[in-house]
Amino acid sequence: MSIQINHLTHIYNADTTFEKTALDDVSLEIQKGEFIGLIGHTGSGKSTLIQHLNGTLSPTSGEILLDGENIHKDKTKIKEVRRRIGLAFQYPEYQLFEMTVYKDVAFGPTNMGLSSEEIRESVISALQTVGLSEEVYEKSPFELSGGQKRRVAIAGVLAMNPEVLILDEPTAGLDPRGRDGILQAIKDLHDQRGITVILVSHSMEDVAKLVDRIIVMHKGKVAMQGTPGEIFSHVEELEQMGLAAPQISYVFAELKKQGFAVPTNIYTVEEAREALLKLLKQVKA
Amino acid sequence: MKMVKAEGLTYEYVRVLETDHGTREEKVAALKQVDIEIEKGDFVAVLGHNGSGKSTFAKHINALLQPTGGTLWVKGMDTKDDELTWDIRQTAGMIFQNPDNQLVATVVEEDIAFGPENMGIEPQEIRKRVDEALETVHMSEYASYTPSKLSGGQKQRIAIAGVLAMRPDCIILDEPTAMLDPVGRREVMETIERLNHEEGITMILITHYMDEAVRADKVYVIDDGEMVMQGTPKEIFSQVEELQKYGLDVPQVTEVSYLLRKEGIDLPADILTVEEMVGAICQFKSTT
Repeated sequence: MSIQINHLTHIYNADTTFEKTALDDVSLEIQKGEFIGLIGHTGSGKSTLIQHLNGTLSPTSGEILLDGENIHKDKTKIKEVRRRIGLAFQYPEYQLFEMTVYKDVAFGPTNMGLSSEEIRESVISALQTVGLSEEVYEKSPFELSGGQKRRVAIAGVLAMNPEVLILDEPTAGLDPRGRDGILQAIKDLHDQRGITVILVSHSMEDVAKLVDRIIVMHKGKVAMQGTPGEIFSHVEELEQMGLAAPQISYVFAELKKQGFAVPTNIYTVEEAREALLKLLKQVKA
Repeated sequence: MKMVKAEGLTYEYVRVLETDHGTREEKVAALKQVDIEIEKGDFVAVLGHNGSGKSTFAKHINALLQPTGGTLWVKGMDTKDDELTWDIRQTAGMIFQNPDNQLVATVVEEDIAFGPENMGIEPQEIRKRVDEALETVHMSEYASYTPSKLSGGQKQRIAIAGVLAMRPDCIILDEPTAMLDPVGRREVMETIERLNHEEGITMILITHYMDEAVRADKVYVIDDGEMVMQGTPKEIFSQVEELQKYGLDVPQVTEVSYLLRKEGIDLPADILTVEEMVGAICQFKSTT
């Protein structure tokens, strides 16, 4: 399923003194199966953008096409849009409410009117995908660790079998272990189920590790887009927008400045190891 | 006198487990025989994964929790002595993770005045302290704002100002940047360092961001309730495998130099920052 965004503008509190243009003529295309990283500092418009994608907000002007069809054209279909495009909000664990993990994840499919067999199937599959073992199914979600709670919340979205999964800061506040667990689950989900993933994150290291394409939002507009290598070679522009590149990208930008013949599109530890190994071995020889 | 001193600090609680045969009680030790000495004016980082006991430790310094074994003194005051609780809290203020959960008033300056008001301080003195605290965190122009209109980083700085108005000797910050964006994190970290350097306030930063911990004078690592590592950032972060064993990260540059050393490239093991990495590579070039 492809998503096409045409000239999307959103103005909060239009015609009042609190008027604020959160999105300003944004056009984007997202292909089926892509893994997108959406970055931008607080107030850049990225949350407003993702809330449009599943119809939580309506555009002031412009349109969002899902497989060529405007999602707001037929109001009765908005529920279907929300099922197809799942949105896991920031701190989704605050939205857990059921007595058991199983029931919480089953809430969505139950409301979709599926048979109990179908419900069971999607719930179990969703819980397995996020890496939660059977022993927690009957536990209260509130007995679990922060990372586990977040997995339950994400499983709740997955149980609706969405074609696109949008995650708003899925690793915020987690420790390195919890973070790696969630990111691995998201990566598996993308690789195995082939669903489109849009990852909103402040953590450039996380984004760098996973995504195919990065979209940078700034002041309501798309400021840059490209592969992680392309984006993270623009260290200075990112800084000016209140963002940062992964730490290792700064090393290469600085080495380049000092006259070393190094690539500047390096953003992971593994790539850095390769590139520096090459450089330092040359120096030695 | 040490700002914070713990001897054999232990904290146990009873967890009630639901089982098929009714409930079962289980004793959990969140802190086990922790010894620590923090000097006045130090900037200390405490690392550990979730559930390691680092927040439990932080809450002891502020007397929110009392030890079930051993003793913890704040500026010589035993936290087990209930009579001293208010003095301890005035000496050691605490900042929590969620900026939305710790602001109580609808106007910034009233929020900061809350602490000193409860201490029974004269109105004129309160005014003075509020203004000074706002200035210290660089938020003076927001005095009459409502906190809900501020960014996460600004809210955390207001929370810090609220603690400052009580004139503490020590501030404990429990993952203060976990919910902030990069700009907010930078603002809060700069505030922490400035208060430490310029005002000489002892800072105890609980975090799992390694790039924050490298800026401290001393780093402690807690795992499963035990203090397992302590030393300068360079001493701690050069032990890459050890840290990974405790579920912690090292900065990217440290990991890269660790991997290069494994390949026989002679780089220092204690590279923590971009500048040090670039410096080491330039050095490498000139010596070979």
